[in-house]
Amino acid sequence: MTSESVENLAGSAVLRDNAEVAEALGRNYAAGFVTDIESVSLPPGLDEGTIRQLSAIKREPEWMTEWRLEAFRHWQSMPTPDWAKLKIDPIDYQAISYYSAPKQGPKSLDEVDPALLETYEKLGVPLHERAALAGVAVDAVFDSVSVGTTFRKKLAEAGVIFCSMSEAIREHPELVRKYLGSVVPQGDNYFAALNSAVFSDGSFVFVPAGVRCPMELSTYFRINAQNTGQFERTLIVCEDRAQVSYLEGCTAPRRDENQLHAAVVELVALEGANIKYSTVQNWYPGDENGVGGIYNFVTKRGDCRGADSKISWTQVETGSAVTWKYPSVVLRGDRSVGEFYSVALTHHFQQADTGTKMIHLGKDTKSKIVSKGISAGRSSNSYRGLVKVEKGAERARNYTQCDSLLIGKKCGAHTFPYMEVKNPTAIVEHEATTSKISDDQLFYCRSRGIGEEDAVSMIVDGFCKQVFRELPMEFAVEAKKLLEVSLEGAVG
Amino acid sequence: MNQPARTPFVAALADAPLPASGIAWLDQARRGNLEAFADAGLPDTRVEAWKYTALRALAQRSFAVGDAQACERVVDPSAWAMAGIDGPALVFVNGVFRGDLSVLDALPAGVSLQPLSRALVDEPEALRFAMSRHYREPGDAFARLNGAFATDGTVLRVAAGARIAAPLRVLSIGAAAGHDLAWHGRHLVEVGEGAELTWVEQHLGSGEQAHLATQLTDFTVHADATLHHVVLQQAGAGSSLVRRSHYRLDARARAHLHVLELGGLLVRHDLRAELVGDAAAFHTHGAFLPDGRQHMDTQLAIHHQARQTVSTSTWRGVASGRGRGVFRGAIVVNAGADGADASLGNKNLLLSAQAEIDTKPELEIYADEVKAAHGATVGQLDERALFYLRSRGIPQAQARTLLTTAFARAPFESLADAALREHIQQLLLARLPD
Repeated sequence: MTSESVENLAGSAVLRDNAEVAEALGRNYAAGFVTDIESVSLPPGLDEGTIRQLSAIKREPEWMTEWRLEAFRHWQSMPTPDWAKLKIDPIDYQAISYYSAPKQGPKSLDEVDPALLETYEKLGVPLHERAALAGVAVDAVFDSVSVGTTFRKKLAEAGVIFCSMSEAIREHPELVRKYLGSVVPQGDNYFAALNSAVFSDGSFVFVPAGVRCPMELSTYFRINAQNTGQFERTLIVCEDRAQVSYLEGCTAPRRDENQLHAAVVELVALEGANIKYSTVQNWYPGDENGVGGIYNFVTKRGDCRGADSKISWTQVETGSAVTWKYPSVVLRGDRSVGEFYSVALTHHFQQADTGTKMIHLGKDTKSKIVSKGISAGRSSNSYRGLVKVEKGAERARNYTQCDSLLIGKKCGAHTFPYMEVKNPTAIVEHEATTSKISDDQLFYCRSRGIGEEDAVSMIVDGFCKQVFRELPMEFAVEAKKLLEVSLEGAVG
Repeated sequence: MNQPARTPFVAALADAPLPASGIAWLDQARRGNLEAFADAGLPDTRVEAWKYTALRALAQRSFAVGDAQACERVVDPSAWAMAGIDGPALVFVNGVFRGDLSVLDALPAGVSLQPLSRALVDEPEALRFAMSRHYREPGDAFARLNGAFATDGTVLRVAAGARIAAPLRVLSIGAAAGHDLAWHGRHLVEVGEGAELTWVEQHLGSGEQAHLATQLTDFTVHADATLHHVVLQQAGAGSSLVRRSHYRLDARARAHLHVLELGGLLVRHDLRAELVGDAAAFHTHGAFLPDGRQHMDTQLAIHHQARQTVSTSTWRGVASGRGRGVFRGAIVVNAGADGADASLGNKNLLLSAQAEIDTKPELEIYADEVKAAHGATVGQLDERALFYLRSRGIPQAQARTLLTTAFARAPFESLADAALREHIQQLLLARLPD
């Protein structure tokens, strides 16, 4: 830590008043400030003091601390949202620790849960990656540092900034200040406000004007991706005519004891820019009795700020006990384009309430929504979407298709599309169907000697093809396998 | 939460004297509903069912309960004359039954039809189940008002096996009065086993007035019975009309609903159907044409609760001027309702820059042996169709009217009664400019 930032901390009047923080700082100082500061864990609980401590630990500038506090104050005044079709036990926000030191992972693959290894085997995850995904200390297996460095060098040459959010706050404060919260304001919704107050880390991407990012960016390649924790904050900015494709999430099941995951992702596309954001979400869904699992409350929004810009969301959601997520696009620039492709699969007792919002503001804006929901077991799967055409959005065009597939008698599949149209030159279309896996198709497959489980996964794969096509290739292969694994035991 | 300040609307009605019936359970239900109304007031747009219908303007107005002079109001019977239809009719003026205007002398065999005010005197116990209800949902303000103040309406029973060919009509007419009135109609319609009925509900307005009318109707369609329900809504230009129609369909019962919304300023219609018997079928068709500053909100919810139940819905919206059309079409298939087959379509035309359409088709499915589909669109007239007509020498304006009329009448092509179908065609032609 630089002497200046230490002064910043010590000089803060509020911090001085907070004996606890002073004590924590003092203790760290005695133990060796620079090396040990990252291993501080905050006790469970949430108040302004926690946020100041968190901000101090992360060595953030004063404006960032204030920004967080503003969000926190807003959050306190907000009611818990109850409109989604989800049954959620009340969450005790005081029982969560808002900053914890990196977890001590297993030391070798021998210590990893055999069930998990078996799943990796089925997914075909390369051996050296399995260890990384299971949380084994990465550098023991393969040199992530060197991998990271290679990529970083190439990106730097192109002028692309790709780093952790904490790093960006320190290294590129002018960019972060300009764009953070400009798409999802602090008080946007309950979980976004909570995230704004306590976000731990996340990714920051900045692609300067005219640059096409030389590779697909993925959290997987970012060195500290393992520790981004429960409250991720991601910000991607593409300047004029810049392009980037970003892949998020891990493609193998990851056990995680975290209960609440409240992330915020903001995308900014300036004139002619193109952002493609792909997610494969496979957090721990809880066991077959509905015990445990992640609450995944995510706010994702893209802003097509410039003319001719494009933002495309693709998501494959198979994990989490509860998913509450509506990746949206604000189509502000004329001729801008928004896309949303989604496969959401729920099994056992999983609940998903997911969809998108397309807000047409600019002229000749276009949006396309393709959503495929698959429910099995006793799960509940809802599509909830909004297509809004404001007065000035001349010739706006939207096409929405939502299909649901039911596997079993105890699950639910729901569709709640909202369409609000205020411009007489707009064309908005919505279609939805719900059905079970066709007996005819199953029979056909079976008569060709294909086992029931394989037949179901073939049919599901066909059902999802329109979305998988939008995924980068290696993601598509894994997404397909992921569905197979997630559907195990759904039939018969 | 702080108690919201009492709006003029709530203040005017919450303290109004309740009608005294002398029936303990009825008085109790009325009191309960009025208390619930006074406590909660009108819903705001945060209540999901009222998301697109703001009641702020209504909340600032006040209405007098009932019309003491209803029996002297002069109305012109030619206003509801309909070519080819001259069956029995019940006429209500400002919510009050008018025997002098009604036609009740030639009731077909198997039909028992009388105004609620009379039925409450003759056989109150038979009405107890329907009339002692308490409304508890957050958006129930108008149902509560109705539950508290409704004193008149219709009680209609069709005996098992009776097939009534000629349509029976109920007319609700708003007539000018010295001040704005609120009245509340309560209708109960029961179609016996294997019976068939055509029920035409008409709303008309005579003269300048800005009354508020609420209406609650319960339809019970017993096994193997058929109900044709036709609604022609031409309420007065300044009036507010809030209706709820509830349908209960037993095994193999069929209901065909056709709704045309033309009149009123603030119009809301909640349609709720419960398909409780196996193989029950509910077919809904409707068109709403908000123009000027009209606001028309249709909320349709169909619950498939039994096996092999079928529902189809075809709705069209045409919004022009500063009109706003709101449509929600929800299909719910309960667990165990295997073999359910549901489809719903809502197409809308947006004809002016100030008009707005908000549509929300919904599916909630809890069974797997089902077929369910819905679709909704908002757009304009097909330019190619326009071009085609113009290339055949039809002027632009006329071509537009032709296409718009064709669009709006599509839901009524399935209407079985030719005279009604023709009447609707005429209403649409008169409404759309040429």
